[in-house]
Order: sequence, then structure tokens, then C-alpha cells
Amino acid sequence: MSQATTAETKVWGGGRSPFNVSYGKMMMWFFLLSDAFTFSAFLISYGTKRFFSEVWPDANSVFHAFPFMGHANLPLLFVSLMTFILIMSSVTMVLAVHCGHYGDRQGVIKWLLWTIVGGIAFLSCQAWEWTHLAHNTGGLWGTFTDPNTPLDKFEHFFKHGTITAANAGAALEASHSFYNFFFTITGFHGGHVASGVVLLIMALINTVNGTYDKRGHYEMIEKVGLYWHFVDLVWVFVFTCFYLL
Amino acid sequence: MSAHHSSDNIQHLYEGDQSKLYSGVMSHHTDINSADSKKQIGRIWKVFWILLAITIVEVVVGMFFSASMPRGVVNFFFLALTILKAGYIVSVFMHLGDEVKSFMITVLVPLFLFIWFIIAFLYDGGFWLEMNTTVPIR
Repeated sequence: MSQATTAETKVWGGGRSPFNVSYGKMMMWFFLLSDAFTFSAFLISYGTKRFFSEVWPDANSVFHAFPFMGHANLPLLFVSLMTFILIMSSVTMVLAVHCGHYGDRQGVIKWLLWTIVGGIAFLSCQAWEWTHLAHNTGGLWGTFTDPNTPLDKFEHFFKHGTITAANAGAALEASHSFYNFFFTITGFHGGHVASGVVLLIMALINTVNGTYDKRGHYEMIEKVGLYWHFVDLVWVFVFTCFYLL
Repeated sequence: MSAHHSSDNIQHLYEGDQSKLYSGVMSHHTDINSADSKKQIGRIWKVFWILLAITIVEVVVGMFFSASMPRGVVNFFFLALTILKAGYIVSVFMHLGDEVKSFMITVLVPLFLFIWFIIAFLYDGGFWLEMNTTVPIR
């Protein structure tokens, strides 16, 4: 303990972490930093392609369906629900981390379970949205490649009345890019959510087995929590780039 | 790994109980019902309501108002709110605000590369559009 007291005065003098975090937590932060660059590369290339195009699909026209509501025009409503689910699961996650700080095993179990429920709910919503879009456009990736595609197959993705014979080619190509980027980026994000759910289930099993009590701390919950919040953070940007801008 | 040098005496620094060493919050909190704990939980829920309110504002503007507003204003509005949301998530939910300052700087400074990244690539996209629409194909 005397080592710790001297370290208070000499931060970079050795014997302790100058950042006051453990190796595992620091590496989780650095991994998330690298992941942030991967996601931003996707989103920025999406932006570049969008700036490249004369016309671009309008989110309110593409995303306007809601389960069991038939053909009702409900723009942004379903994705708002998905956003709400993910923010909510972030709150339950941070509450699990909080209980972990206090060594409250029952609290950690309760909040981890709610977080897993949120993650699965989000993935189910995404599965519905993908199925719906694929059903409407005839596929996931690589749609709208045929130059003879009739105008009525894609003009409804754009603001009403903006597509004419003159920009139909650009509109077809923009639809192609929009769908490719949409499925790639939300798919990559969904993959993160899915692996996050797996990590949460593993952490839950360890918590139930008392592994973290034996270890003396719940730092693993903190690390999984960092990952889970990052997934929420990415969704904040995906939501803005695809649905709002 | 340990075949190359005698590292038995420092092995404990690399595995196991580092958070006991480094994580001040872990070591001396025991009562989940303490006033300090309740204050933390209150802060978490406060941030939840803020995030929810921002999202509702974004969705309402996106649904009803963004089409009739100038493009630049809409983009600035949505990006500012997005960064505000990101700030709350990183600083409170991910507890970066509670880490030491040097660690905060280490994590945040590389993100400034995004400024160049975004400007360069979007400008390039705009340039290509201009070339494609104004320069005749020979």
C-alpha cells in the first residue's frame, strides 16, 4: 500500500497505471476507438456517395412502415421505437454496472437480464425491418442494377415529384447505393448488437455462478458495459445519418 | 512467455485483480442503498430522460418540419443534437467523465481526425458531382 501512496505524488513514476484503469478496461477503450474508426469509415463513405449523387432517397419515404399497420404511412415511427429500445437497454446496462460497483449480485442479474431482453428486442425489430425492405425491393444487397428498371419501382423512395426521365438514371444508381450502404452499415451494427448479447449472456452466467464474487470485483460487467454503450453510441450516429439527415 | 525471463514476481500485475489496484470506485462501496448510490442512480435516470427528450425532438422535427426548413439549418441542428447525445452517453454511461484527465484526453484526441476525414471525403464527393454534371463526356 505504501507503493500506492507514493504513486499519488508521482503519476508517471511507475508502480501503478498512470491512467488509473486496469489493462482490460484500457484495451476495451482502445478497441472501441478502432471500432469507431471502422464505423465512421462506413458512414463517411455513405456520405461521400451521397454528395456524389444528384438525387438521394428520402428517409421519410423509404422508412414509413410499422408492423401490423399495413400500408399506413408512419415515417420514422418504427426506427424511433428501435432507438428507444436501445437507449433503454443502455440505461439497464449502466444500472447493472452500478450494482457491480457495489457488489450487489442480485441487482446485476436483474439489470443484465433486462439488457439482454432489450438487445433481443432490438435485433427482432431489425429483422422485421430488413425483411420488410427486402420484400419491397426484391432483395438485400445488389438491387436496382438493371438499367431498364421501370420508374415506378423506385421513384417512391424520393420526395414526391422529384424524379423525372432526366434524372431517372441517377435515381436508380442512388437507390442501389442507398440500399447497399443501409444493409452493410445496419448489418455491421446488428452484428455488434448480436455479439454484445452473447457477451451479456456469458457475463450473466458468470454472475449467476458467482465467478465475479470469487474474483472480488465486477469489472467484467464494466467492460461488457463499455462495449454495449458503444453499440448504442453507434446507433445514435446511424440513426442521424440514415433517418434524419 | 515466461520462459525468456523471470517474471514470476510481476505476474500479478498482468492478470487477476487489477481493478482492486486501480479502480477506486470498486474498493470502498458496499451499500447499494446509500445516499451516494442513490445519487448515482438519479444521475443515470436523468441522462435517460435527456436522451429520450432529444430523440423525441429529433423525430418530431424530422417528421414534420425538416422538409420545409433550409437544408443547412436542418443538418446543423441534427448533427449538434447527435453530438450532444453522444457526449452524454460517453461521459455518463461509459463513465469517461469519471476517469482521470490524461485518460480522457488519450481516448478523445484521436477522434479529432474525423474533422479532416469528414471534410476531405465529403468535399471529394461534391467535386465529383460537379465534374459529372458540368463537364461534358467526350
